[in-house]
Amino acid sequence: MKRRLPWWLGGILMALLLLFTFSIFGANRPLGASTYVPYYAGILFGMDPEEYPYLQHVQKAGAWEGVMLLGSLVGGFFTAVFVTKTFRISVLPTGWKTYKNNSVASRLIWSFISGFLLIVGARLAGGCTSGHFLSGMSQTAFSSMIFGGVVLVSLVVTGKFFYNEGESK
Amino acid sequence: MSFSEYISSVVARTSEMFEIVQSQEHGSLVMVFIIGIFFGGIIQYARVDKFEKIAGFAMLKDTIVPKMLFLAIGITSIVLYFEIKMGWASYHVKPLMLSGLIIGGIIFGVAMAIMGKCPGTGPISIAEGRIDVLVGAIGGLFGGYVFTKFYDPFFKPLMGESYGKGTLESVGGDFSSIFVLLFGIVLIVIAIKIPKMELFDEADLEKLDDADRPDTDAAQNREEFKVIK
Repeated sequence: MKRRLPWWLGGILMALLLLFTFSIFGANRPLGASTYVPYYAGILFGMDPEEYPYLQHVQKAGAWEGVMLLGSLVGGFFTAVFVTKTFRISVLPTGWKTYKNNSVASRLIWSFISGFLLIVGARLAGGCTSGHFLSGMSQTAFSSMIFGGVVLVSLVVTGKFFYNEGESK
Repeated sequence: MSFSEYISSVVARTSEMFEIVQSQEHGSLVMVFIIGIFFGGIIQYARVDKFEKIAGFAMLKDTIVPKMLFLAIGITSIVLYFEIKMGWASYHVKPLMLSGLIIGGIIFGVAMAIMGKCPGTGPISIAEGRIDVLVGAIGGLFGGYVFTKFYDPFFKPLMGESYGKGTLESVGGDFSSIFVLLFGIVLIVIAIKIPKMELFDEADLEKLDDADRPDTDAAQNREEFKVIK
């Protein structure tokens, strides 16, 4: 049994999942994965939707994605344990060790900061890799193409300046 | 609010989440959960939730993410067009709020390169045991808190005016089907033409037999790859 999906099969399966989710036989909506974060934050920080209109605004999409996310945790866990055999507890990614540094504290602080920024950025733009790239560009939406272009440039520029070549090790 | 009041509020609002999904016309609770299982399973199986795949793409050392992403978008855009024409689906386009898209896109790209995850792949990484991503998710929850709290006074004005929900289909007129078809084909060609490069993490492969290891295949096919330890 193959322990990895080749990129083309992964792409085809993801396309089928998107098409199913869009269709009236599935969920009749696009697939997204960043609206659930403010929705969960509202629950966990005990924020009252009466006081914060944004919570009312994202309520339906947030709840849908919140349940979808729970499914993806289950799907990811079982695939990691039984298929790809990649489940393990780890703190420092190998790539971080090779191309950044060996410090757990550095990784965790940057994780927290980048996690924070990731959600603020996604919510400002109104979507993320799933909602804009996958679902939005598939509808040939101009908003998603602009987001996609900006993210690609920003991602690669950051990659160039934030990491080092890792040859010194 | 006391601790027990807090817990009961979280429980009540979580069960409200299930009720909202159940009462919407967007698939039953079980259906939405199963869509999630496949979403998590496909991403995990293709390993595109790995730090080395996303940060590796940012460093231009791994191209699996853009290849898979562009292929998925290319195929979906063509088939979805016909799906919608058949009346089996409809458009759900996000508004073009220029400054929100640009400022948000820049911040998102920076964060994605550093974290090596996006909001969809992050939780899947947590499910496979990545503690650093869990810390990132806590950061994300604070991000969601701050965004919600200051949405009206700060973030909403920052996002700017909406320039509508334009798509190639909506501006294409009589040629919309050709535009969409070309768009899809161009993306599929890009996905195939991007040179395949992979950055493998030894820790991710060490439980596999030699025959199952993707780097064994890559070496046989003389592809460009690197294994880091």
